[in-house]
Amino acid sequence: MASIRVNHLRKEFLTADGLVVALQDATFEASGHTFVSVVGPSGCGKSTLLNVLCGIDTPTSGTSEIVEGDHRARVGYVFQDARLLPWRTVMANMMFVQKTDDQATRERCEHYLEMVGLSHATKAFPAQLSGGMQQRVGIARAFSIEPDVLLMDEPFSHLDAITGRGLREELHDMWEATKKTVLFVTHDVGEAVELSTRILLFAEGGRLQEELTVDLPFPREPTSDEVALAKVEIMRKFESLHEMVAVS
Amino acid sequence: MSATSQNVTPATAITAPPRQAVTLGSIVRSRRFAIGLSVVTLIALWQIIVPFLPTLLIPEPTKVAQFMWNEILGRTLAPQTIYQAFGVSLLRLFIGLGLAILIGVPIGLLIGLFKWADASLDDFVVVGLAMPSLVWALLAGMWWGLGNKPTIIVVILASVTFIILNVAEGVRDVPKTLKDMGSAYGVPSLRITRHVVFPSLAPFFFAALRYGLANGWKGLVLAEVYCGVDGAGWMIRYWYDAHRAQGVIGYAFFFAIFALVVEKLIFGKISAYVFRWRAKTAYRAAK
Repeated sequence: MASIRVNHLRKEFLTADGLVVALQDATFEASGHTFVSVVGPSGCGKSTLLNVLCGIDTPTSGTSEIVEGDHRARVGYVFQDARLLPWRTVMANMMFVQKTDDQATRERCEHYLEMVGLSHATKAFPAQLSGGMQQRVGIARAFSIEPDVLLMDEPFSHLDAITGRGLREELHDMWEATKKTVLFVTHDVGEAVELSTRILLFAEGGRLQEELTVDLPFPREPTSDEVALAKVEIMRKFESLHEMVAVS
Repeated sequence: MSATSQNVTPATAITAPPRQAVTLGSIVRSRRFAIGLSVVTLIALWQIIVPFLPTLLIPEPTKVAQFMWNEILGRTLAPQTIYQAFGVSLLRLFIGLGLAILIGVPIGLLIGLFKWADASLDDFVVVGLAMPSLVWALLAGMWWGLGNKPTIIVVILASVTFIILNVAEGVRDVPKTLKDMGSAYGVPSLRITRHVVFPSLAPFFFAALRYGLANGWKGLVLAEVYCGVDGAGWMIRYWYDAHRAQGVIGYAFFFAIFALVVEKLIFGKISAYVFRWRAKTAYRAAK
């Protein structure tokens, strides 16, 4: 069982305008078959949190770890922009992040490409694919290393509503099937309600304000009454938090 | 006017726009025709004006064409045919360019990667860029006399700064987003260098090669005028000394043709292959 543990994490940046605190004392834990969304406005430290978790950035203080049992977990990362190598084919992109290069690995990559409906596009170059297709390859790539934990940084924010909706369903099905721990960053409260078992509300200045549990049963129909009500409730909380922070 | 009173054509009547008919009018209005017409007009005017000019040194286009045709057939008064001359020059060009690459790429990498290298070498590079090849040709002639050595050295001097600059720019521009992606997935550094850094350098290396070639060639021709005993540049000098403008103009046209051939055949084809991932057509999905 994989766990994400964050303990008093703080990250400061020195910019031309002075010291910027991107993350203020964030502490939380997520383990097992859970889908945790990190929700907040722009500039609240969501992406910084993910960057620190996967090692791209080092924290100013505090600790974070992603473990499977007693050793470091395998982590898959999905970016906002698909970040495919433009000069290599889809299959080559999948193989780029693998640890082994054999027939079994190739078949695994094909399997996940099929899960996102792109098994016919193995020889295409990213420039030949639409934005939605590229993002699907990014998701397949993250799943294909069969990680213990998935970090996703606003993966659907650059896509249109219809494509995004389709991909959300695919993501949910894959999460249910593979039973992973997912940490999902988004600024879209509605998206968080549709997908998550828990929501972490971040405010500007990188402060973790509140943790919420989303108890609704799956599958969650985005247009159903329960989901709509939950969205409104959490949106209100979100807004009151925002005012609280603005006033303080 | 209400919608119901209008005659609305049904959606099924919408078809693709009719293909433009190829009429005399469409040909005359086309861009190629305009360019062709201006070139032909210019040559015609040139042909007509020459007898009225006060000098015997401006040849008619027909004379130039005759000269060029004779050269192609190998019928020349010069000690070298055009093929021998270009052959010798091209050999010098490629040796010089090869050496310029061996020198320029490492320096470019240093400048792009390390700030201290950038700071200390930047002024030299700027001066090298601005220095006219004439200076290199004259100095090389003074120091190394005539023949292959000074000409090859001028090729190196004329092209190396362009190579350095483009390689440095390429190194500075390596996409951090893709390197971060590799790091996030724990891809080993060597693989990141091979599949992220090198491919991202390709367009800059191409630019380096292209500008290096162009400037190397120009420097070479100049060097051959001053310190050559053979070669394409020397041939232009030969015809200049012989007071034959059709020789000078003819060889200038040969240079132009050579540049076009290299660009279209060599660079064009290589570029199309190396950059084939820059697709212009969308992928035809099976579904």
